[in-house]
Amino acid sequence: MSLNNENEYKGRLIAAVKKEVKQVMEESVTRKFVHEESGSVTSLCAAVEACLSQGLRRRALGLFKTSSTTALLHKIAKHSREAAIISKKVQEIENSDPNRRSSSSSESLTKPTLKKNHSLPSTPLPKYLWIRLALFEKQLAKIIDYLVSNANKYYDKDALVADPDYGSILSSLLVGPCALDYSRTKTPDHFWTDPPADELVQRHRISSSHSTPPPVRRPILNFRRSLNASSEDSITNRTTTQHLAKDYVESLHQNSRATLLFGKNNVLVLPVNADVSQPMPGYLSLHQTASGLTIKWTPNQLMNGFTDEVQDKSVFWDYALQVRLDEIVYVHCHQDSETGGTVILVGQDGVQRPPIHFPKGGHMLAFLSCIETGLLPRGRLDPPLWSQRCSNKRRRPLPALSETEETTKDYVFRIADNTTHKDILKQNELMDTHIALPPKSRVQLPSTSTSSESSTKSFSIDQNAPDSPPSICIQAVCDSMKRQIISRAFYGWLAYCRHLSTVRTHLSGLVNSKIVNGEGASDGITVEKWNELCTDGVVTDHAELYRLTYFGGIAHDLRKDLWPYLLGHYKFGSTTQQRMELSEETKQAYENTMSEWLAVEAIVRQRDKETQANAIAKLSSESMSGEQVPAQIQRDLSNEVFEDNISDEDSGPNVEEEDKPERTRQNTIKYDSDPEQDEKEERYQQQQLKDFIHNVIVTNASVDMGNLGSEIEANGHRNDLDVVAEENSSLDTCIETHGLASPAMSTCVSPASSNGGVYSQELLETFGLNLHRIEKDVQRCDRNYWYFTVENLDKLRNVMCTYVWEHLDIGYMQGMCDLVAPLLVIFNDESLTYACFCHLMERMVENFPNGNAMDCHFANMRSLIQILDSEMYELMHSHGDYTHFYFCYRWFLLDFKRELVYPDVYATWEVIWAAQHVASSHFVLFLALALLETYRDIILSNCMDFTDIIKFFNEMAERHNAAAVLSLARDLVLQLQLLIENK
Amino acid sequence: MGSRVNMRPTSKNTLLKVVILGDGGVGKSCLMNRFVSNQFDEHSFHTIGVEFLNKDIEIDGETYTLQIWDTAGQERFKTLRTPFYRGSDICMLTYAIDDKHSFRNLQMWKNEFLYYADVKENVQFPFIVIGNKSDVEANEREVSQVEMETWCNENAISACIETSAKNASNVQEAFATAVQHWLRLENRADKNECLYTDTVDLTKKQSENRTSCCINASDE
Ligand SMILES: Nc1nc2c(ncn2[C@@H]2O[C@H](COP(=O)(O)OP(=O)(O)OP(=O)(O)O)[C@@H](O)[C@H]2O)c(=O)[nH]1
Ligand SMILES: [Mg+2]
Repeated sequence: MSLNNENEYKGRLIAAVKKEVKQVMEESVTRKFVHEESGSVTSLCAAVEACLSQGLRRRALGLFKTSSTTALLHKIAKHSREAAIISKKVQEIENSDPNRRSSSSSESLTKPTLKKNHSLPSTPLPKYLWIRLALFEKQLAKIIDYLVSNANKYYDKDALVADPDYGSILSSLLVGPCALDYSRTKTPDHFWTDPPADELVQRHRISSSHSTPPPVRRPILNFRRSLNASSEDSITNRTTTQHLAKDYVESLHQNSRATLLFGKNNVLVLPVNADVSQPMPGYLSLHQTASGLTIKWTPNQLMNGFTDEVQDKSVFWDYALQVRLDEIVYVHCHQDSETGGTVILVGQDGVQRPPIHFPKGGHMLAFLSCIETGLLPRGRLDPPLWSQRCSNKRRRPLPALSETEETTKDYVFRIADNTTHKDILKQNELMDTHIALPPKSRVQLPSTSTSSESSTKSFSIDQNAPDSPPSICIQAVCDSMKRQIISRAFYGWLAYCRHLSTVRTHLSGLVNSKIVNGEGASDGITVEKWNELCTDGVVTDHAELYRLTYFGGIAHDLRKDLWPYLLGHYKFGSTTQQRMELSEETKQAYENTMSEWLAVEAIVRQRDKETQANAIAKLSSESMSGEQVPAQIQRDLSNEVFEDNISDEDSGPNVEEEDKPERTRQNTIKYDSDPEQDEKEERYQQQQLKDFIHNVIVTNASVDMGNLGSEIEANGHRNDLDVVAEENSSLDTCIETHGLASPAMSTCVSPASSNGGVYSQELLETFGLNLHRIEKDVQRCDRNYWYFTVENLDKLRNVMCTYVWEHLDIGYMQGMCDLVAPLLVIFNDESLTYACFCHLMERMVENFPNGNAMDCHFANMRSLIQILDSEMYELMHSHGDYTHFYFCYRWFLLDFKRELVYPDVYATWEVIWAAQHVASSHFVLFLALALLETYRDIILSNCMDFTDIIKFFNEMAERHNAAAVLSLARDLVLQLQLLIENK
Repeated sequence: MGSRVNMRPTSKNTLLKVVILGDGGVGKSCLMNRFVSNQFDEHSFHTIGVEFLNKDIEIDGETYTLQIWDTAGQERFKTLRTPFYRGSDICMLTYAIDDKHSFRNLQMWKNEFLYYADVKENVQFPFIVIGNKSDVEANEREVSQVEMETWCNENAISACIETSAKNASNVQEAFATAVQHWLRLENRADKNECLYTDTVDLTKKQSENRTSCCINASDE
């Protein structure tokens, strides 16, 4: 074999390993662990085996068996501890199963002779056995390391393992996979289906019953720093040049320990120790691990694969750059219009790292932005890169960095640490007094401006900073350094104080400062209490009413009377008489509004029929190949909704379709003004009865618009469609004539025009669209709850439509029905429900997509968890996107309505309403927190990621112990109140 | 001798992220539930936020795990659902055959997906168009198969199918087709795979046969 071929082959072998490594690493990212039986593990083992077999000196070593690498393992076991471990395991497995070698079945491997034994795949390729084991035991890289270092003993001179480049690359490639956790716990058909929430909760109950206290009682106001606990994993610690190759591998992948936050190629750096004079291009990446952020830069020469040239690359490993961000204090940014900008990192030691030159295209800003995000929550850029306005959702970068009008603009950011002094939180009153003292700490210390080419604008507040002559004596340097050290400590501390103070100020807005005592309130409002509170029909002591409700809820039968108070519909101090008048007014107004939109609905309904007829007619005409369509389907109405307004004769694409002639007939019948009687009946039965009532309304509308409301009321069965259809014969005739007449009518006068053009086209369309949505969602609202019969669903629909009609600018949004439903169940009265719903929506509307309450909720959740449960926060943060809190979305949107069963919804809602007057107007936050805390141990012990937690809470819906959650939420409010009160 | 080295990993447990998009009420959640648990609940809730379920599916002897994401259909909830588009492997564009409007909105859904999923311009993404509620009476139908296929042709989508979550017709097939479609594109992409460049240039032209379910399909 020629040298070239040989090399090419080795390159291919390595490339194959790389590919499989990549596969495995990607798998670990998407799935949190890799299954031992995963195909990619097998492939990886195969690829490794191929590398290890190549150039093996079998003869010299006396290795003639088929699986010679296994023999090799046993051989080196004498010298390598890692190999010895694996060798022993392999032998144990082989001994434990005498059939092992002859049978390809590994069923018997499930015998738990060794802890890991039964982990073996059910259909393994036996020759990879040791490689698999070594991988699962995380020893593979070390074993190969050993082989590489001692290659001359076992391998031919030109073997891959003996190759100075390929050998070390091989072992370094495997470091990543060796750091992963492999799982074998799942049966093949459940490979990636995570255990259902039920099971998790069950498991937790069992395991925690004897060891840990119930999560509810767990103190969550802990300020422990969990950051240092387990952060120093092996991967992040390897910083020596010897391991650069390994880092290279990591740079390529986002693996289980490190998240790739930023990656950009062709970033120019002039390596410090390079004998080149020009900055060279390379791949810049930003990684996040448990212990912090790392910036890496890898020369392109190392990025371009291994197959192209034979050049010695070891020198490039020396050029590669790796900077841990926690060693960096300042980030200098130089911008000029020529290039994409330069970033210089300055370390704690004052030494600057090689300048990083970005290509054009906003990459520097992107990079800084990634750093800023990555620093959270433990650190931040100071001043912040993004000036954030709380109310305004838009984030704008500092003007200096966005787009540069000036040719040159420099900026210095300090990397501020938020956590350093976390443990001294309790002293923070003391700190508060200091906070006002210094100006904004856009601090820049003198020494850092030594960066040669920097024209940095100094933000120094150290007025003594000498722009002194070069002839500085040693003493001055020492002084300067001392000052630096002191001031750095001071500013670090200062930044921390500011942070704490911000958090405190921020969180103090979430709870009421006055702590209300819950004594004697745990029974809530009972009938007896209510009789005390409501003397002669007048409720005066609203504070007590709120207090009792907050701490103990309301007896179910009283809700109908009390909720209107809580929601603000009834005024405290009002008399029975006043409230009756109010109810009458409300009812009148409601009915008036209803008559308005009912008329519009009739028109919309009519238009719908037309357009539907069009659509169907079009389909039929396609299928009928131009057969005559009933003349009644004339589009002389307002059917411009759809653009495919082709006439019947103008037959569309005549493509044949297996269409039955019956259909054509049905269509004909449907729009025929003189249908056969039986066909008509059948159709009526199929139709939603609503259609009838709409036709009735068309009648009414054309007869007497003004009296509609009272007429409907007089009818008394407006909502009871069944009754209308079955009993009211006079209506029935109406329906008959008008149901049939409507197409005919449409040929002469459209309902729209019959109403004198009162309604604009736009209004009709907007309302029509809303109507359809409402209908679709009402049909799907709480259908499994006894209350929602067809009849009551129609009440729901009416309330919803009335609200939307009155608030067309807001419009219907999914979720509103869910908010109406419990009110309707309690009141069983449309107008009262409507009035209370309007009050409820004053707060809730902000949660819907147009408002910005949801963002605030998420931000507040973030702060609360950060302060109240740092361990949880760490977990969430380590899973990246998690902190978006999307899994809370439904909770906040519907005030937990979908999370709880109906009785619990009532109990929860009234507490939320009362809470603002007693403890917190953001009580929902504490409920959310309580829910999280209730399951915190499950979440933490299962190391749930973003998707897990969404799934978990979706599955836990309606299974929570509401009483416990409510009481925990109240506790949390109190804890925060105490914390802020700081006594 | 390099043949074994270059073998493809057996991907019997590949995880595929599937998002189901379409107007509210077209039956996305019902489709997902029919597929995952073979159940149909006429009165299921409309979706708030996002939900997902996992389900294994076997194609050509290999098992794939589908992680199916179901989102709310109302346009206004865009900011909530779009973050979940990223990293999708398959996108199901769903409408109801008795709702022309939902069909018209397919374009919007496709655009929204492409925009937020960050799919590269010239990359063929495995879309599948689903016309749900095929069980409805013929006289309720507002969108014909031909219209669906025409739209797919115009949008260079080669997989489409009519389903019914209610009577289970074609539901398994729809998901299977989607995975097969993904596989074909994936295989094609693989040939062009290049390990260390971050831009993978895929063949821009689509050339393979369309899925069998499009009976009247013409060639692209
Ligand atoms: N006839 C028929 N009805 C269906 C079918 N699939 C769903 N439905 C009905 O259509 C309605 C809406 O179904 P969903 O699955 O909730 O719709 P969705 O697309 O998830 O809607 P959103 O969650 O609002 O986005 C339900 O009431 C179902 O009963 C079907 O195949 N045939
Ligand atoms: Mg849904």
